[in-house]
Amino acid sequence: MAKIIVVTSGKGGVGKTTSAAAIATGLALRGQKTAVIDFDVGLRNLDLIMGCERRVVYDLVNVIQGEAGLNQALIRDKRVDNLHILPASQTRDKDALTLEGVETVLNTLNKDFDYIVCDSPAGIERGAQLAMYFADEAIVVTNPEVSSVRDSDRILGLLASKTRRAERGEDPVREHLLITRYNPNRVDSGDMLNLEDIQEILAIDLVGLIPESEAVLRASNHGIPVTHDEASDAGQAYADTVARLLGEDVPLRFHEYQKKGLLSRMFGGGRR
Amino acid sequence: MSLKVDRDGMAFTFKGGMLPMTVMELNSADPERIREQLAGKLSQSPAFFQHTPVVLNVERLDEPHLALERICAVCRGHKLLPVAVRGGADPVKQSAWALGLGWFPPQEASRPRSLEGVPAPQAEAADPALDEAEGEPAPAAAGTGGRIYRGTVRSGQQVTAPEGDLVVVGAVNAGAEVLAAGSVHVYGALRGRALAGIHGNPEAGIFCRELRAELLSVAGNYKRLEDIDPRLLGTAVQVRLEDDQLGITALE
Repeated sequence: MAKIIVVTSGKGGVGKTTSAAAIATGLALRGQKTAVIDFDVGLRNLDLIMGCERRVVYDLVNVIQGEAGLNQALIRDKRVDNLHILPASQTRDKDALTLEGVETVLNTLNKDFDYIVCDSPAGIERGAQLAMYFADEAIVVTNPEVSSVRDSDRILGLLASKTRRAERGEDPVREHLLITRYNPNRVDSGDMLNLEDIQEILAIDLVGLIPESEAVLRASNHGIPVTHDEASDAGQAYADTVARLLGEDVPLRFHEYQKKGLLSRMFGGGRR
Repeated sequence: MSLKVDRDGMAFTFKGGMLPMTVMELNSADPERIREQLAGKLSQSPAFFQHTPVVLNVERLDEPHLALERICAVCRGHKLLPVAVRGGADPVKQSAWALGLGWFPPQEASRPRSLEGVPAPQAEAADPALDEAEGEPAPAAAGTGGRIYRGTVRSGQQVTAPEGDLVVVGAVNAGAEVLAAGSVHVYGALRGRALAGIHGNPEAGIFCRELRAELLSVAGNYKRLEDIDPRLLGTAVQVRLEDDQLGITALE
């Protein structure tokens, strides 16, 4: 039985795909057999972030419409053995997805995988609702700014009402807060919402905090999920996040304002 | 893309909605008696008669035929807009449709609500017409028809107590809406919209542990966040209607 995790946010551009790629990679590196599915039909990005865009033949829509088998569409990751990617279609739109089709795909993956990570599109419409419908757990990606927090709040409302678990009256979807692009210096100067305020409004458990980092942009453009960049702060923060998802108790890092000391100023203070 | 095009191509969409509606329960089918009583109400509370939509409930009348057209004319003459009829025999239904009104099936007979004779709370301040129209008991009688909601009311969600008080044990977030026929109590931060006395009960109030509300409204009188004294933000307050003005005072 695989655990189905949806990575969602409501708002666009907060780091859903980056986080889905980094977390799926992290789970696979920890020995979990993981599939990551791009639900953003029409705006396919996950393949770029995962660095497999040149190997896409078939996609999720082909599988749902019976034009290809699931094994033909699944792309094996080059770097981690346990990781598979199911890309979205770039030429279709979200109407090409059906609830039954998504269910069939997930049921098939369920037998072979430990984790299925669903990368949700932005918004609260059909595409986002299909991505979350079958989820067991949800990672709500939030930036430290008011509009992102409000959209995350909206998504949390949908997770509590528009999912299979909610409709069947089963245990609710387990909700995790993942804060991305956190910059303690800008929080300290009042430009960004702080961790406590976000947690107070959203009232769910924090699973991770990813600092704003040059490593993320570098990773995206190179098509290598940032989890592989073990020297970077963001890479370590995603590894911590994965450990917490697996039930480990890991202290929070990168959330406090660091005044640069004399030595680190003189010697550059390592990579960021 | 085509999803958006489809949306734009649609002239309308059907949405379910629950609107507060005044039901005028008729004990007499005599248009003259109705006219006399309406005239009396009008002088007591002219504010209520502002083209208010009403549903005419004729369940209590035994006559198979009613002078529906004349009754409607009397209502319109007093700035009440009949929009539908509830109950009555088949001829009543037919004549309602002929007049362009909607028709609702009768309520279950098991609701003996004595609307007349409900003592208006504090005879002077209260609006008897409103109390009777909604059949709401005095707001002090919470617990009957009230509602308790545990958890965070999130952006885009709406929690309503259509009869009685609403108690939220948790926060009401920005973009959420809580409504009650009676009072609204929020044991947490109130960041969204809170509407108390949605059927016009002026005695209703709003109570919260931490005021950050986008909008506060009691019986239709409202204040936006911008109108609220910034010194009160973040504090525990109560909101009451005083001389048709919303008064916000600290609860400590």
